Amino acid sequence: MAKLWVIIKREYVERVRSKWFIFMTIFGPVFFAAITVLPGYMTVRGMRDTQVTSMHILDATGTGLGQRVADRLLAQQTSGPLARIPGAAPAVPSIVETVAPGALAQAESTVTHLVMGKQSEGYLVLDSLMLTEKKARYAGRNASSLAQMEMIETALRQSVMAAALQSTGIAAARVDSLVRVRVQMTTERIDERGRGGSGLVSAIFGLVIAFLLYMMIMLYGQNVLRGVLEEKMTRVAEVVVSSVKTDTLLAGKILGVGAVGLTQQVIWFGSAALLGTYGASMAQAMGAPTMQNVTLPTVSLPLFLALVFFFLFGYILYSSLFAAVGAMVNSQEEAQQAAQPVVLLLVASIIFVQPIMINPTSTLAVTLSIFPFTAPVIMPLRMSATQVPPLEIAASLVGVTLACWAAIWVSARIYRVGLLMTGKRPTLRELLRWIRFA
Amino acid sequence: MTELALDIRGITKRYANHTAVDTLSLAVPRGAVYGLLGPNGAGKTTTIRMILNVIVPDEGSIMLMGRPNRETGIMDRLGYLPEERGLYKKMQVRRVLRFLGELKGLRAREADRRIDAWMERLSLKTPEKDWGLSKIDELSRGMQQKVQFIGALLHDPEVVILDEPFSGLDPINAQALKDTVVDLKKRGKTVIFSTHLMDNAERLCDSVCIIARGVKVLDGTVADVKREHGGNNVALSLADGGAALVTRILADHKLAERVDDSNRFFEISLQPGADPQDLLRRLIDAGARVQRFELVQPSLHQIFLEKVGATGVEEGMSGHG
Repeated sequence: MAKLWVIIKREYVERVRSKWFIFMTIFGPVFFAAITVLPGYMTVRGMRDTQVTSMHILDATGTGLGQRVADRLLAQQTSGPLARIPGAAPAVPSIVETVAPGALAQAESTVTHLVMGKQSEGYLVLDSLMLTEKKARYAGRNASSLAQMEMIETALRQSVMAAALQSTGIAAARVDSLVRVRVQMTTERIDERGRGGSGLVSAIFGLVIAFLLYMMIMLYGQNVLRGVLEEKMTRVAEVVVSSVKTDTLLAGKILGVGAVGLTQQVIWFGSAALLGTYGASMAQAMGAPTMQNVTLPTVSLPLFLALVFFFLFGYILYSSLFAAVGAMVNSQEEAQQAAQPVVLLLVASIIFVQPIMINPTSTLAVTLSIFPFTAPVIMPLRMSATQVPPLEIAASLVGVTLACWAAIWVSARIYRVGLLMTGKRPTLRELLRWIRFA
Repeated sequence: MTELALDIRGITKRYANHTAVDTLSLAVPRGAVYGLLGPNGAGKTTTIRMILNVIVPDEGSIMLMGRPNRETGIMDRLGYLPEERGLYKKMQVRRVLRFLGELKGLRAREADRRIDAWMERLSLKTPEKDWGLSKIDELSRGMQQKVQFIGALLHDPEVVILDEPFSGLDPINAQALKDTVVDLKKRGKTVIFSTHLMDNAERLCDSVCIIARGVKVLDGTVADVKREHGGNNVALSLADGGAALVTRILADHKLAERVDDSNRFFEISLQPGADPQDLLRRLIDAGARVQRFELVQPSLHQIFLEKVGATGVEEGMSGHG
């Protein structure tokens, strides 16, 4: 099949030489990192603002609880994890006002004005209810900030506990260390072969894989569509199919574009592997702090083979559908419209990524990992998140293979007729006729 | 070894609501320049696509150089210039040509050598500028057509099929095309082209086939066709202002069967049995100043109009070419 090779070569070389490819190869990971790392970064940035500044505490309990809370809040902010966030505002001690129960209403209205005038963030009211029913009130402009409210609640809880402990006669220093006790929990996945890696890390790994598969299939599938449309619109198709069969042209295009996608991934994963091997020591040499001991999930051979399989077959499945779309339309605008059903099938798989990650053994997860149009993204996700029964994997593999074969068969027929057909876009009935008679 | 470059027997192609080509048979001898003539929508492009094995006929057979056209490798001996021209816009000229050559089985190195020769010949490569290094969309339309033309001929095919080669060509490129066709013939190649421009066909072709509505109307060598269909034909030209004087005479159906009126030049088919001398006498009696009165063979154009007439062009058939 010398001619198939000529087609593949052109599709491959012209794309790899293009600026688009070079740009994507270099900035793809940056972009990808941006959409995966940015949310985390934004969260950390949001935490900077959790410093509670200039708060009032109205203490009507007469037990000095207000001062305790203020001390604890300050301690939390100066020694807790928040204090280590770069760029965080310096902690400011809260202003404690000890008021008589009768004067509380008056004090509250004074502070409310301060808050309205932006001289205070908010105020915490500790009154007799605090002592009898453990209830406090907070009012302020930051009342909807979950992180800040949790921080105040923690300080309050610790203060109440400390007061209670002290009243039983425990030494003040001991009380302090007791209420500030902190626990850490690491998570670890257990499957049939034993324990493997951190649960969180393998979930993130699964997510990254799913997104990567989705992006690559989408990008390169649409690339095939554009290629077909270009040949059709510029009429090059007519010259080419007078030299090779349409099936050869279609196969060459799909394989050539797919090879470009594979090249890109090899470059990405290759440089990632290099970075993984030498990057840590390089970073250390440059004085960066060592990463916490994150155990990277080991990619087992079956998972690796499954990844390759699902990428290849998922790509072939979708790109042949995209090719058929390209062959039946006459312009970019038409293509966008006609490609929607195909795009929707693919998007469906990414919509369900989150629920499936949370519960990778649910009926939804099992169904979508076997349904051929979502399986290429969902099955690898499930496989990295949980131990998928071999029967389900087998069903998924068979389903995707069959769907692939059917898609190629249908697309080749649409392609054969559509490529040289100009004019109106075919109706569904005409399309069926193409498929039957091509 | 057969004498025929192309042998089509009884091919038919039907679409959902019409028959594009109906039991068409053609025989093109090797080394001939063959014209496939017909109005738009007559089935020329469908026929060509069937020859190229892009469309499979419902019935009939097509042989190229004595072999079925579905045989692998046979298309490598064919060159094709489609009616609607186009190339990969973002691709370098040289790479496009190499790709087209390789598709026909040329080796890259051999293709490169021939590309150089062709580019120089069609002045796309001069000491100042090598357009081969430019992208297709940086070329003018005329230059793009030259590139496409090179692409069709790069592998030195035995049979060249040109679909409406003259459409959209400027006079200089049209002349270059004619020269190339003549040159191909001299080198023993077979050239088949479709056109609706009868003048070009008449000058270039050894043989022609006229088709209309998918059916062959007539075929044969140009000389035979003219002899067979040349009745009593008169070429007439008049001095200024003469046309008005002779209108009534030429409208006389006892005398003239049909008249192709080009204002000062007329091509007249006389009725069978009508005497040309009679016509001449009546023209002079009417006071017209005759500059030329010649008994001639009809032009292909004339035969085409006579045979295909107004009924040849059917509405709405162009969709499938």
